[in-house]
Amino acid sequence: MTEQIKKETRKIGLKDIPVAVVSPLKKAQSGLSALASLAKGMRLTFSYFRRPSKIVTQQYPENRATLKFPPRYRAMLKLIYEDNGYHRCTACGLCDKACPNGSIKVITRKGATTGRVELDRYIWRLDSCVMCNACVQACPFDALEMGHEFENAVYDRRLLVFNLNRYAGPPASVMLKAEESLRPAMTEKRDRYGGPVPLNGAQIPVVKPLTIQEGDL
Amino acid sequence: MDLIYTMTTSAAATDVITLADRASAAVDTNIWLSILYMVLALVSIGALTAVLGIVLIYAERKIAGHFQCRLGPMRVGPHGILQTVADTLKLLLKEDVVPASADKAMHFAAPLMSLMATVLVLGVIPYSPILQVTDVNIGILYVTAVSGLGVMGILLGGWSSNNKWSLVGGMRAAAQMISYEISATLSVLVMVLFASTLSLNGIVQSQESGWWIWRAHGTGLVAFVIFIIASTAEINRTPFDIPEGESELTGGFHTEYSGLRFAFFFLSEFINMFAASAIAATLFLGGWMPFYIEGFETFNKITSLLPPTLWFLGKTAFLIFIFMWFRWTFPRLRVDQLMRLEWKILLPIGFINLIAAAVIVLTKFYFFPV
Amino acid sequence: MTAIVRTLDEILIAPAHPGRGATQEYFLNMGPQHPIAHGSLRVILLLDGETIRKVIPVPGYVHRGIEKMCEHLNYRQIIHLTDRMDYLSALMNNWAVARTVEKAAGIEINDRIESIRTIMAELQRIQSHALWWGVLGMDLGAFTAFLYSFRDREIIGEIFEETIGARLTMNYIQPGGVMYDITPDFTAKVKKVLAYMKRMVEEYDTLLSGNVILQERLRGVGILSEKRAVSLGCTGPVLRAAGLAYDLRKVEPYGAYEKAQFDVVVGTTGDCWDRYYVRIEEMRQSIRIIEQLIDDIPAGPTMVTKFNTKIKLPVGRYYNHVETARGVLGVFIYSDGGDKPYRLHFRSPSFNNMWAITKIAPGWRIADMIAIQSSLDLVIPDIDR
Repeated sequence: MTEQIKKETRKIGLKDIPVAVVSPLKKAQSGLSALASLAKGMRLTFSYFRRPSKIVTQQYPENRATLKFPPRYRAMLKLIYEDNGYHRCTACGLCDKACPNGSIKVITRKGATTGRVELDRYIWRLDSCVMCNACVQACPFDALEMGHEFENAVYDRRLLVFNLNRYAGPPASVMLKAEESLRPAMTEKRDRYGGPVPLNGAQIPVVKPLTIQEGDL
Repeated sequence: MDLIYTMTTSAAATDVITLADRASAAVDTNIWLSILYMVLALVSIGALTAVLGIVLIYAERKIAGHFQCRLGPMRVGPHGILQTVADTLKLLLKEDVVPASADKAMHFAAPLMSLMATVLVLGVIPYSPILQVTDVNIGILYVTAVSGLGVMGILLGGWSSNNKWSLVGGMRAAAQMISYEISATLSVLVMVLFASTLSLNGIVQSQESGWWIWRAHGTGLVAFVIFIIASTAEINRTPFDIPEGESELTGGFHTEYSGLRFAFFFLSEFINMFAASAIAATLFLGGWMPFYIEGFETFNKITSLLPPTLWFLGKTAFLIFIFMWFRWTFPRLRVDQLMRLEWKILLPIGFINLIAAAVIVLTKFYFFPV
Repeated sequence: MTAIVRTLDEILIAPAHPGRGATQEYFLNMGPQHPIAHGSLRVILLLDGETIRKVIPVPGYVHRGIEKMCEHLNYRQIIHLTDRMDYLSALMNNWAVARTVEKAAGIEINDRIESIRTIMAELQRIQSHALWWGVLGMDLGAFTAFLYSFRDREIIGEIFEETIGARLTMNYIQPGGVMYDITPDFTAKVKKVLAYMKRMVEEYDTLLSGNVILQERLRGVGILSEKRAVSLGCTGPVLRAAGLAYDLRKVEPYGAYEKAQFDVVVGTTGDCWDRYYVRIEEMRQSIRIIEQLIDDIPAGPTMVTKFNTKIKLPVGRYYNHVETARGVLGVFIYSDGGDKPYRLHFRSPSFNNMWAITKIAPGWRIADMIAIQSSLDLVIPDIDR
């Protein structure tokens, strides 16, 4: 089919532009070459038919164990936890500001022992998140990352609002400076669902109360 | 006893005993046996329809998958073999929506008519010397006449839905199927000339020393190609699926059909494909007749080891595969191109071919013995 | 200058019933739910039998108010909305906004960023044209083409997934740079994909381009003359197929296009076949561009501004454009000096290309309408925004 193309130069405005011209189809292919063109296509499809190795389909739920995601794959947002179990979020709220559609809400509190502003709840709404990565880019402390979990279907949209932080309290940098005995008092446990934000596992009038089962989490 | 006999011995020169023959033979001696044969015929045609529907739809989806670098259905049953059963169940349970302004009676009758026309053809196809409901002496004429009725169902379905897309689809179907019927009939006539019988079993038995596709002095091959093209158009398959035109007419004549009625249309399409392949196999490829070469007795004995039914099914399956191969390779034609292909190309060739065949038969101008 | 405003209802008054036996023209709604709409575009056809007398497109079924939403977002946040306009050339949409903002704010972009942007955009052009090829095949009844094209699209999608982290809505090209640097094995992988795509474009030729049925469906159908294409504001392959070699990549070179040698593909008659083959050939040209750029991507940072600094444009009006897979995407920004646009307007290619059907489809059949609409390569969210 490459004989379709003629090379030439054309002037557009002041510029000479190299041009590849597609020659028009003047008339229909004659009987035999028409049949040959059909046969060529049939040969191509048959070449795929007889080679099952060319099949590209993946059997999805069965291949969960072998599914590989590139490191940059963007799915569920999560706070990074260091090995000692502390996150790095200082509750500065830059991610909140960077988010284009208000999916992130950083609720702060005054630390009981430190007296400084610290993270209370990191609320993230999966239902409005577009995985644009702005929060991760905005974070100056590398406290956030986009995880690879992508199976997020639930039966109740209230389950799409998460508390990302496991505890309310200061980040790892502050925690490590504090004495070991004081640390438990500085933190407060936070579960994945629950909190003052609407729909975050909370009761809605008319809608049946939400019972979270083990499998939902 | 003779059932086993005919199954195992060479099919050549066997007497054809159809179910209708058995029934009429038993009428005088044992009326109940006669009725049993008739019921058997009815049940077997019904069962064949169901089995064909299930097998062909599964085959189509699987073959389409492999043509397209996919696997096709894999979920229901091992390698998805029960997929069609699940689909049928779904269609049975679905709500049967009839458009409010549709012509209710016609809307109801159309899919039945379409299915009836195709199922009636199954009755005369010789599956093997003993597996045939009845061998009508005007067999091929009957097939042409009855399968021509199918267009009524499609036209009615398109008309009665009171949907413009359906109407366009129905009109296209009428124009297309009636046009291509001519070409199909012309190529059938060539075979009738050579076999000098209209009975389908007679045509099969006339191919004892070789199949008509190459024994008919070139006219057979031309007729075969024309018949395959014309039947592709008659059974509404790509590249001639313009009445349905999935991406064009949003389903064409069956846009407004759902549930069981849609299933009937769907089923009749697949049964139609089987019928067309079976007729082509019978006329041109020797039907249940094994592959014989005159003079090579040992070879002929080897080929007749396979039962005739398998020969028949093998040839039919091959033609069905060709139809599917067409469908999963080609784009579809435009209406006017379709008509041009028929009236300006296929029809003249068909006529010339028929005249050539007539001259050959009349003047006994045979290149090699027939 | 007078403007006659007519409502849709006014146009769509059913013709009075003629006498017995006379034929009657009728209206047919093609869409919003129709396989050819590829989304929801409503096209009202006035038909005489199967012959089209009049075509009235009614866009607006996927209107999301992206331009209005942009007025409430800062210049970095706007980018992610452009992914959702022409989702098949998301990177080029990102680039259009990023480029306008950079020019207006005076941000200098280094060669590395330009090279990466160009390579990514061309990869996506191949991907977009490949998908279009398959969809055209599917519209014309060759369903297998659709799946082959999706298979090839996924292969390029894997490169995007690895480098960017997303396949469709990528938000990658941002004001001041790109989101991530390329991965170390990017070059090798792209080369492998290019070699593969070269083979596949040949395969496309074998399966569809050479096919007599397809050629007959496209040859001479829906001729759009150069003059008419220009007056309708058509751009991209639709304009080039009409015979005008207008390609922003050549006419106003941006990115790294000046470094690469390539031809602008033009047609001669402007029929569906020209629009078809121009895109097939553009895939080959895109492969050529990437091959020239991939080996020497200059060194340097991939983001020249800090992400958390506000980008403020001086008061004024700014316009800039890039060549996406479908044509010229222009971005107009009216800034009041803040970090958000006061008004932002997209000149989207599909919107202008769509109106071509009103001029070229009348006189053809319903079946040709499919070929014409498919050959214009409309992306409905890009029309409605």
